[in-house]
Amino acid sequence: MPVGLSVGGALGDPSPSRPFRPSRYVPVSAATAFLVGATTLFLCFTCPWLSDRFSSSIPLYNAVVFLFTLANFCMATFMDPGIFPRAEEDEDKEDDFRAPLYKTVEVRGIQVRMKWCSTCRFYRPPRCSHCSVCDNCVEEFDHHCPWVNNCIGRRNYRYFFLFLLSLTIHIMDVFGFSLLYILHHTKQLDQIHSGVTMAVMCVAGLFFVPVAGLTGFHVVLVARGRTTNEQVTGKFRGGVNPFTHGCLKNIAHVLCSSQAPRYLGRLRKPHSVQVQPPFLRPPLSEAQLAAKVLDNGVQQSKSSLEIMESQSTDADPPPPPKPEHRYPGLPHTQNEECSLLTEAPPTPSLYKYRPAYSSPGKNHTASTHSSKMSRGNSMTESPSVPVTTGQPSYRSDPSLSSRGGAGCRGGGEGGRAGSVGLGGASAFGGRSYPSFTDTLLQSAAASCSSSLRSAQTAHNALGPLISEGTTSTSYKSLANQTRNGSLSYESLLTPSESPEFESAAHELSPPRPHPPHSLSTAPGPPPILGYTSPFLSAQQREGSLQACPAPLRPSPNRAFLRPTSSPPSRAPPLSPRARSLGSPPPGPAPGHTPLGKSLSYGGGAELQHRPSTSGGGTPMQNSTFKQNVANHNTHSHKPAGGVKKVTGVGGTTYEISV
Amino acid sequence: MAETHSLQDLRQAAVASKVFVQRDYTSGTICKFQTKFPAELESRIDKQQFEETMQTLNNLYAEAEKLGGRSYLEGCLACLTAYTIFLCMETHYEKVLKKIAKYIQEQNEKIYAPLGLLLTDPIERGLRVVEITIFEDRSIGSR
Repeated sequence: MPVGLSVGGALGDPSPSRPFRPSRYVPVSAATAFLVGATTLFLCFTCPWLSDRFSSSIPLYNAVVFLFTLANFCMATFMDPGIFPRAEEDEDKEDDFRAPLYKTVEVRGIQVRMKWCSTCRFYRPPRCSHCSVCDNCVEEFDHHCPWVNNCIGRRNYRYFFLFLLSLTIHIMDVFGFSLLYILHHTKQLDQIHSGVTMAVMCVAGLFFVPVAGLTGFHVVLVARGRTTNEQVTGKFRGGVNPFTHGCLKNIAHVLCSSQAPRYLGRLRKPHSVQVQPPFLRPPLSEAQLAAKVLDNGVQQSKSSLEIMESQSTDADPPPPPKPEHRYPGLPHTQNEECSLLTEAPPTPSLYKYRPAYSSPGKNHTASTHSSKMSRGNSMTESPSVPVTTGQPSYRSDPSLSSRGGAGCRGGGEGGRAGSVGLGGASAFGGRSYPSFTDTLLQSAAASCSSSLRSAQTAHNALGPLISEGTTSTSYKSLANQTRNGSLSYESLLTPSESPEFESAAHELSPPRPHPPHSLSTAPGPPPILGYTSPFLSAQQREGSLQACPAPLRPSPNRAFLRPTSSPPSRAPPLSPRARSLGSPPPGPAPGHTPLGKSLSYGGGAELQHRPSTSGGGTPMQNSTFKQNVANHNTHSHKPAGGVKKVTGVGGTTYEISV
Repeated sequence: MAETHSLQDLRQAAVASKVFVQRDYTSGTICKFQTKFPAELESRIDKQQFEETMQTLNNLYAEAEKLGGRSYLEGCLACLTAYTIFLCMETHYEKVLKKIAKYIQEQNEKIYAPLGLLLTDPIERGLRVVEITIFEDRSIGSR
């Protein structure tokens, strides 16, 4: 609808010719038919009497509300949600086999991971997700809505939200006025008008519950500044949402911000500037000359952000960075991973690499998603109308918890997992690494450095566990690596995808009284509990938690931040596990934890790997495949600088610098 | 080679490499690019100049995304007209994007092209990166 200059062959065409699937149009056609059909019948059969009997403003009011609903529906359906054009080839000069799968970036003090999208060929910006239905990366991806047959993203979220609000009001109006008609025509129910009105009432009543439920859900999301994707994958369950600006500002951002521009279909003006030699040169300073000498000239096209990474692929690994570089709070913004990379001796390039583009579907396999999604969806808001009808794209990029992520991180994490303690590096693999300055961690990190991204490294042994196609390849290549600890940890994490979702979905549903039954049975996410519980014995938990509870304290600025190891106030969702273990688990629900939650789970995860070992297993047991150091590190991970690790649900670890 | 040298002068220079300045997400998802000076440009342009360009771009994007009375009125008007206003009116963001395009063009003409560099409007890349093309410098005495 907005004015756009459409140009054929627009820059970075999104998904090229997709097969025509008529089944995609069934829900949207049904929704349109019901909306337009029912309202038309209402206006034709019920409204004449209403305008005669009461006032002619009633049909007028209903018509206005209906038009507003329809307008928002059309905008939500036809508007580009914020699709990113595919990156051009020259942007991705980094060798696929050497680049990390994830890049960590600090967003308002919290480490957020950006995943490499093999289809679109760039690192997905925060809040961006790849929709497997549309086969596009969408900015601020909310979900793929089958009822409008479109993704809901940054550009059209407000129309979708207004559509839900107006539809709820419209349904209530239609139902109410129809009821009024019926109540005044109880003696003429055999008339056709009454029959039609009753039918319209039924349709309205039927749709009211799911639509109202979904509307309420989105009102909460808007107020909290979250997207559906984040809510369902439980990214911020345990901690702080770095993208929120407060309730009022969040609402203002949704409703009052200027319409975001589209990225596709823009008229691309050719450069009218001629660039011809000879070129001027700026005078070189001494420092610049010195720098030139040091520059190894590798991958010139890389931005500075990626320079460190490329360095790690050199034969001579750069020396480990100073500890302070690894604090997230420092102005190294994009260099978190770089510093991490430089810590470790350069492992062979096999370690860190992104899956090749040739496996485009892997990032967003519908199949893997769908199973999760269905579970998640069932747990999420009951009204399945708009959103969660098991769309794979819904979770198209649950990178945090996703297999790929887990896998990747495994490598790094593995080594670190034990050691990491709460650092959170374990959490997901890499998210938090930079925050650890522990020397012990360094050594562990060294071995895991590559794992950072390549997660793949992870953990060969667990290769088969990795569902993600891409990561599995990477894992295979890493099979030879000797990253002990990470193996068990990471591999354990990967299968947890579904559990995460479940727990996420779990969170969505109204809070239920966990505690009573939770102890006996695993609530919502049984698999999750099953996943983690055996591994973590009470002793182990306490052991791991003892070291860290004190240092972890929510910073004054982060009221919601919950230290991973401190007893969380959110007992209910975690209660089952917590109680059994005797210590409250970290913020994120146990279900999600596997992915990379705090250390306490890490130990458990490892144990899981070895069925023979006793459930609890002391941290020492972990050393079978991890360095002992790693375990000790977990507790002491808390850096002096005051970096808090919060493990979000879905395997996201957030580090908040104090 | 004398004759070929003059011919080279007439043609557009060859692309040597590209630098990609990434987004700066430290303040959230607002559009902001890193002002850190990329190492590859060290010998080609003054650091100060580059940072000034990036800072100006960031300011322009901040203006585009500002939640002010203007954007609010625009939203209200759009609602009232059932969004048909978008067919005739340009949104605030688009207006600022035009301004940015003009600014980049100006910078290219005045500063970057003479140095053998070219800035590409980040909107072409989905506002993810600022692409700086470094042209090969074949003149005598160049690197």
